[in-house]
Amino acid sequence: MNRQTISTTINRRIYTIDVYPNQTLLEFLREELGFTGTKCGCEIGECGACTVLLNGEAVNSCLVLVPQIDGKEVLTIEGLAKDRKLHPLQESFMNYDAVHCGFCTPGMLMSAKALLDKNPNPDEREIRTAISGNLCRCTGYVQIVDAIKEVIK
Amino acid sequence: MKPYDYISPKSIEEATSVLAEYGSDAKIIAGGTDLIIELRRPNAKALKVIVDITKLGELTGINSSNGSVVIKPLSTHTKLLQSSILHQHALLLSSAASVIGSPQIRNRGTIGGNIMNAATCADTVPPLIALGAQVVLQSKSGIRHLSLSDLFIKPYQTKAKADELLTEIQFPKLPVNAKSSFIKLGRRNALSISRLSVAAILFYDNNGKIIKARIVPGAALPVWRRVTEAEQILISEKPSYKLFTEAGQKVSEVMISYMGRRWSTEYKEPVIATLVRRALEQCA
Repeated sequence: MNRQTISTTINRRIYTIDVYPNQTLLEFLREELGFTGTKCGCEIGECGACTVLLNGEAVNSCLVLVPQIDGKEVLTIEGLAKDRKLHPLQESFMNYDAVHCGFCTPGMLMSAKALLDKNPNPDEREIRTAISGNLCRCTGYVQIVDAIKEVIK
Repeated sequence: MKPYDYISPKSIEEATSVLAEYGSDAKIIAGGTDLIIELRRPNAKALKVIVDITKLGELTGINSSNGSVVIKPLSTHTKLLQSSILHQHALLLSSAASVIGSPQIRNRGTIGGNIMNAATCADTVPPLIALGAQVVLQSKSGIRHLSLSDLFIKPYQTKAKADELLTEIQFPKLPVNAKSSFIKLGRRNALSISRLSVAAILFYDNNGKIIKARIVPGAALPVWRRVTEAEQILISEKPSYKLFTEAGQKVSEVMISYMGRRWSTEYKEPVIATLVRRALEQCA
């Protein structure tokens, strides 16, 4: 199995790395880079706990092979806060009690960020569609939607 | 996952050369939303090579030329649902793409992968068959043109040879007075696999009578086909609840004549009829 040398930007840092092609981005982030903020839920793209942004688009990192991030930008939950300040979405999630067990939260935040970066003024239907790939077993989604709405204001 | 070599060709020539060399020991990856799940299975067949075609710029894009829409296979479902060309000339395809999986899946999954994986529940296929799509397969030995409805043998099996690459999907633009729809029934509102689906197109004359119809159910038959028996009921008629109900019942009968009565028939029999009726109502 040949290793691939790839060049990528992860959380605003440039990496040139040799990777095994039979690893998913999820495994690579958690086990090689220690970025355990991205969660492993179903590993088959049906829960969204592993959601990260790839060139600004929300993707299931469990369904991306590591070499496929070559030449691309990855943003994980660890990269959401900037210059020691939380992202407004993170503040809002706390204020609206949108975090219960917290397991879906990193994925939810990344999907919400992907939405607001492309569409700064979504309606409720667009918000719910944007997070439709992220399952939450605790909150019933209401607090999450309200938290996102708050940031839009 | 079991180990394999990874090749990322920079041209179609390179890709078809690799496929010619490795044949069925190679698998093509684009979005990976089906393949990676397959590779993770404990009893997955060992592969020699994965061929990542995502760097092939020639395989991206949605374009229209005189009378046709041409879609390149690496078009993601997100691109399909956002395409103004599809909104204008093939709305049902855009609708179908918009209900696949989730935003994360749609950002990666491609129309080419949806077709070539050939799962019974593939959502882009019924609309493409209703649209009369043609596909192009390319290999080192040359190029083949096929009608999409001829491409499939059975679930998960197409007529494409191991060394062939899907390079283009094409269909005629729908005329301005044609209406189309796609309805998907899944176990949930998102992140669901189609249990049943219906792609429908109705073409009208200037008096509001139906002159042509296309009805293609999904996840209902062994291989996708237009249900011409139901389409014929609609010709030269004006839309009505009674007419569409009749067409729906005909589709249900045809489905049972193919599939026999099985555990799911008690549910699917009335439901496919209703879905067809609703799809046709959306085309009225």
